[in-house]
Amino acid sequence: MRITFSRSGGVAGVRLRTTVSEDDLSAPHAAKLRRLVKAAECFRLPQQLAADPKQPDRFQYELTLEDGGQRHAIIIDEEAATPALLKLLEWLTGIARAG
Amino acid sequence: MKRVHRRHSQSCSICCIVPPHILNALARSGTEAERVLALETLAHSARLRGQREILGAFAVNTPAGQKRRTVYTERNGTTLPGKLVRGEGDPKVKDISVNEAYDSSGVVYDFFQKVFARNSVDDRGLRLDSSVHYGRRFDNAFWNGSQMVYGDGDGVIFQRFTKCLDVIGHELTHGVTQYEAALNYQDQPGALNESMSDVFGILVKQWKLKQTAAKADWLIGAGLLAKGVSGVALRSMKAPGTAYDDPRLGKDPQPAHMEDCYKGYDDNGGVHINSGIPNRAFYLTADAIGGNAWEAPGRIWYSALCHNLRPSSKFLDAANATVMIAGNLYGAGSRQQKAVQSAWKTVGVLK
Repeated sequence: MRITFSRSGGVAGVRLRTTVSEDDLSAPHAAKLRRLVKAAECFRLPQQLAADPKQPDRFQYELTLEDGGQRHAIIIDEEAATPALLKLLEWLTGIARAG
Repeated sequence: MKRVHRRHSQSCSICCIVPPHILNALARSGTEAERVLALETLAHSARLRGQREILGAFAVNTPAGQKRRTVYTERNGTTLPGKLVRGEGDPKVKDISVNEAYDSSGVVYDFFQKVFARNSVDDRGLRLDSSVHYGRRFDNAFWNGSQMVYGDGDGVIFQRFTKCLDVIGHELTHGVTQYEAALNYQDQPGALNESMSDVFGILVKQWKLKQTAAKADWLIGAGLLAKGVSGVALRSMKAPGTAYDDPRLGKDPQPAHMEDCYKGYDDNGGVHINSGIPNRAFYLTADAIGGNAWEAPGRIWYSALCHNLRPSSKFLDAANATVMIAGNLYGAGSRQQKAVQSAWKTVGVLK
């Protein structure tokens, strides 16, 4: 599995990006990633999770997941994300920060 | 300046177990604990139903010009508002974020009250609620439609978000915009919404420091970046695109001219990116007029926000509105009107 992650917006307007490949992760981290993706039901989510109205200065995320033959891209307003999806986004943010 | 008020209905239509008039009475004259609980319930019901009338109905009972602040701590959680730690008039606590949120929201209240005769975010005495320590290493601050929320920052790139008065002014101005022009948070209207927050955020800081336009730094979030980051602030209104250039942060993406307008999908169509254009137009106006930027320039922009701009307004609408208002307030062909016109031309919005 491979995930391309990007976070934009926030009061700072600074962009954060990373690409995470299961192959590059340690076994426990790879297992954690699979668990988080499964719990968030990423492949079943619509292409856009938009908040209405949008809350000012919230983050906007873009995820592209590739697994086997499947590919799924989602644009997410932070305030419209499910709790399980937020956990995945938080984990990916940590990876992106670590560079 | 006389404002034309677009008011919500005064009627109270919230249905809950404790009738609103009792909650209002408790909020007015109960014990401190009853008062807090009643206010919470009133605000919570309003939030649940997506209605703001109840807050307005309560505000009727609040003497004009009286600020009410409440600060909560999230203790790294994300369920708002968190635990109440400091209410209006309460003494300082040990937690610096709590005191900064309390003090700075008070300065923002005073600024809007003294400069524009505005009674809080909704102009009806809305209580200013802040929650600090939101999430873990959360590197953001936001306005959620009814309160301010602040993270502690990751400590590597960002420090705590309560640190800068202009950032707190920025968040509260999102509240003002919500009650006035209600600019859509997408594309150009969203970038105008962002710019209004930067404009009044920076004016609060200049007003507090008694700085003229010429003396001010025009930086949003100066001092917010952690030690070791190559940059001075989050944004520069004077020179958009120059606030930082750092291996981890990247380069400040703000354009200073319409030619470089961002057209991508990120950040709701670049609301924090393209705000550089109207931000610079405001700076140029203030620079040309001279003196205190919260006087003529602030008055023109505030009037546009309250009376002329609409949810779908774009940069050109803001330019036309501010030119017109400057003419109405200071005379057609006045120095002030010429300054506004020339500023929007310099950034490529007016031809």
